[in-house]
Amino acid sequence: MTPLEASSSLRRAIEEPDIHPQIHHRPAASSVSHLRPDVAYHAQSAPRKVRKSGSVGSDGADASAASAVRKKRARDRGRSGSRRRKGTWKKLLWVKQDYPDNHTDEETFLDHLQRNPRLQPYEFWPLVADSTVIVQHVCSVVVFACCFAGIITGRVSPVAVVSWGSIGTVLGWVLWDFWVGQEEAANAAEEGPAELGDDAGTMSSSSSVSAVGAQSKEVQGLAPPSLHSANSSAPQANTGHATGAATFANYAYYPPYGGQASSFSPRNQQRLATAKSAILIYDSIWAISVWLMCINVFFFDYGGGVGAKLVFGLRILNTKANRYFRFPASLSTNAALMASTVLASRLPSTTHVFSLTLFSIEVFGLFPVFRRHLRHISWRGHLALTIFLVTGAGGGVGVTISGGGWRAAIAGVVLGGLLTGLTMGVCSWWLIGLQKYKNEIHGPWDPARPVIRRHWD
Amino acid sequence: MPYNIAMISDFFFPQPGGVESHIYQLSTKLIDRGHKVIVISHAYEGRTGVRYLTNGLKVYHVPFFVIYRETTFPTVFSFFPVFRNIIIRENIEIVHGHASLSSLCHEAILHARTMGLRTVFTDHSLFGFADAASILTNKLLKFTLSDVDHVICVSHTCKENTVLRASLDPLMVSVIPNAVVAENFRPLSHTSHALDPAAGESRPPPPQPQHLGPHGTITIVVISRLFYNKGTDLLIAAIPRILATHPHVRFIIAGSGPKAIDLEQMLERRSHVLQDRVELLGPVRHEEVRDVMVRGHIYLHPSLTEAFGTVIVEAASCGLYIVCTRVGGIPEVLPPHMTTFAAPEEDDIVRATGEAIGKIRGNRVRTERFHEQVRVMYSWTDVARRTERVYDGISGVLSEEEFYGVESGADTPGARASVSGDDEADANWSATRGRAGVQSFALIDRLKRYYGCGIWAGKLFCLCVVVDYLLWVFLELWAPRAGIDVARDWPKKVKVEKEREGEGARRNVGGGVAVGRKRGGRHREKDRE
Repeated sequence: MTPLEASSSLRRAIEEPDIHPQIHHRPAASSVSHLRPDVAYHAQSAPRKVRKSGSVGSDGADASAASAVRKKRARDRGRSGSRRRKGTWKKLLWVKQDYPDNHTDEETFLDHLQRNPRLQPYEFWPLVADSTVIVQHVCSVVVFACCFAGIITGRVSPVAVVSWGSIGTVLGWVLWDFWVGQEEAANAAEEGPAELGDDAGTMSSSSSVSAVGAQSKEVQGLAPPSLHSANSSAPQANTGHATGAATFANYAYYPPYGGQASSFSPRNQQRLATAKSAILIYDSIWAISVWLMCINVFFFDYGGGVGAKLVFGLRILNTKANRYFRFPASLSTNAALMASTVLASRLPSTTHVFSLTLFSIEVFGLFPVFRRHLRHISWRGHLALTIFLVTGAGGGVGVTISGGGWRAAIAGVVLGGLLTGLTMGVCSWWLIGLQKYKNEIHGPWDPARPVIRRHWD
Repeated sequence: MPYNIAMISDFFFPQPGGVESHIYQLSTKLIDRGHKVIVISHAYEGRTGVRYLTNGLKVYHVPFFVIYRETTFPTVFSFFPVFRNIIIRENIEIVHGHASLSSLCHEAILHARTMGLRTVFTDHSLFGFADAASILTNKLLKFTLSDVDHVICVSHTCKENTVLRASLDPLMVSVIPNAVVAENFRPLSHTSHALDPAAGESRPPPPQPQHLGPHGTITIVVISRLFYNKGTDLLIAAIPRILATHPHVRFIIAGSGPKAIDLEQMLERRSHVLQDRVELLGPVRHEEVRDVMVRGHIYLHPSLTEAFGTVIVEAASCGLYIVCTRVGGIPEVLPPHMTTFAAPEEDDIVRATGEAIGKIRGNRVRTERFHEQVRVMYSWTDVARRTERVYDGISGVLSEEEFYGVESGADTPGARASVSGDDEADANWSATRGRAGVQSFALIDRLKRYYGCGIWAGKLFCLCVVVDYLLWVFLELWAPRAGIDVARDWPKKVKVEKEREGEGARRNVGGGVAVGRKRGGRHREKDRE
């Protein structure tokens, strides 16, 4: 076979999809799976220069140039590859070919390779807008910390804090209930005529409800043990500070020590407990709570929507990354509640502890639900809430550090606002700058992502 | 020339699986070709020490700490003393490792290069580049394969994958597919021939095509482990829809795994429609696979990733029409008249299955011819012959020009596999890699190859290699070669000597031996149970 024939037969091979299924051309379907070779073929991000000649759809001058290149290459191969090289090489295993096993075909080798196929270049402003979610959460943590500082220094009454918090929570709940009601009504109106859609629709709305319900349930479930643990840690703290500030003086509830069989005398045991609490609690309580708050901030489910994730009733099963690196949202909430419990052990009375715990449940358990929904409903409201929180956090930090005064609060607001804006901008810019290092390689070797139309339950 | 070869992998019998049977079949066929082959694996429960399998295949089960799914703990150096002892005792020249998840194989390749042996690595699986586990595995693979003589992959897709993962020169990667023992996968009409040993050679009479009326029941067989990456989710979603559109169709599903519960739940939920039309067999042994396959007309394979897909070849050999997803190496495996391809989407699988049912009903596929065709396409004898060529190439029996097929220099086709693919890189390759059997064992050359693996990894790898070298020097002093007994070889058959004389005679005798061997294999497996 002459080189010319070889190239033309290759051309034919490419154009006959039934004979050579792996080089198969079809217009890309709407639901694109990146494993489909035709997609790879039409992709603009083809990695190698040679690919130019591979695009079959090209016509006119381009095609002739391509065929010229191919002819030349075929001639080269014909010269070097001597007598036994005949026929075109095919990327098939069932054919006995005249090529050695380690033959590497220039035309087809790695032609399904894709680099960064799903890369969506970030844009600055949308990125900044998205970062408000993080800012909101960090600010609410800061506000909580400031409230605690105010309570423990005696500057703010715990009852006032929890009252304001509860008023806000009730208001938020009313709003949220209103929104959910509206959405359900809208869903019902939409699904009235279409009988078929009932699966996905109710699933989305009910799952939003159930998700929220689960969260509040979880919070309720958490509350008693956390209170309880505050109680049980109280005696230890008490023994630890028998000589120091009177903590939990009005607590008459001591777990009996004598119940356990032990070689230590009760007095020594008490001393041991004192030492333990001194080491474990007094010194490290701040560290523990800081760590827990960090866990809260880092593992918070920022991307979590309101449960309206099922958009077109078309589900792509969870990808590998999702399966391996997904932390439960409860980790964050639990860490925050534990932090508040630990902090509450520093407080002097039941009222204080109760208020702080209730406040922490409101801030870490319920407030995120409201924030998510607000963002879903109205962008302006979300922005307003962000500004409000940044202001609150900035002012709170100013007051806490300086020890009071309006001037400090205003300075804190200004500084906090500036710092937040700057951080948001710099981080977004940085992230955009890091994008150029992204090099994802995809190809037919990747596990396919199954597309399943409808969940079968 | 005959070689002394050591096959090394974590995965070997008594554990069943694709890699395990690949090693076994390849080894026995290589022994038939006059080579000496031993297998080194780790100790399995109830299987330790040295064992002989059929035809004198010697297996060393080295005691080793197993961490996860029969993979040994990756200690870089601890295998060296035992390994060196076995290599010297058996007088091994070529070390052939299998499976990229086997740390035993990686260690063996490193030590073998330190000891100055030729190494080959066979990759059986595909890995992505995205998740953390793959990144780690790929780095380790790059370490091992920086200094390997040749790599064998089971499909062209697998070759592309391996070349990218380990930054190899594509010319030192061969594609040698898996094979099937066609005699073990005969369609139902062949059963009578199976009992007659002579029938394997004489051409059987052309079997009668089977006719299915418009209301004849078509059986779809699925045999796979029920895992996520075997596409069980797709299967679960597609079954009710296929059964709803085609009334005279039933399913037989064999296999077990974590997704079995989902499958059973789906069946229970729709029990009134589906129960009697879907048969779940649970796990089946490899010997029974054929008996299950021949009950069906269509084999459905909804896998999400597959390097080769031996099971579809087995199914085609049993005379089943194949419906499979177009993933991994699967599109390369079977000719288009045996298969219908689908995208890994529920809708497309339903469509493709419907198409296949239509073809079977319309008698548009000659499934009764599939067995003969597959038998010609894939045989272990062929695999052994091609592997032998690789051994010839790396030990310098074949000239460089003959083995790599190109004059070295600027005209090298497969530009470097790295994605950048720039031209200067090509020149570097030949600098560190003397081609065809002249790959240098000198420590400094080896260090050069490892150094390029990464900014930090390169230095770490060099350190490991240096330590390995020192360990070898220490072992040479501490346990000198003279003190190690050389094992006696298994007596070779006289027939084998004759077989090697002529090319034409070789094929026939090889085929005859194959029948006997397969029998032996079967008996052995029975004994194990």
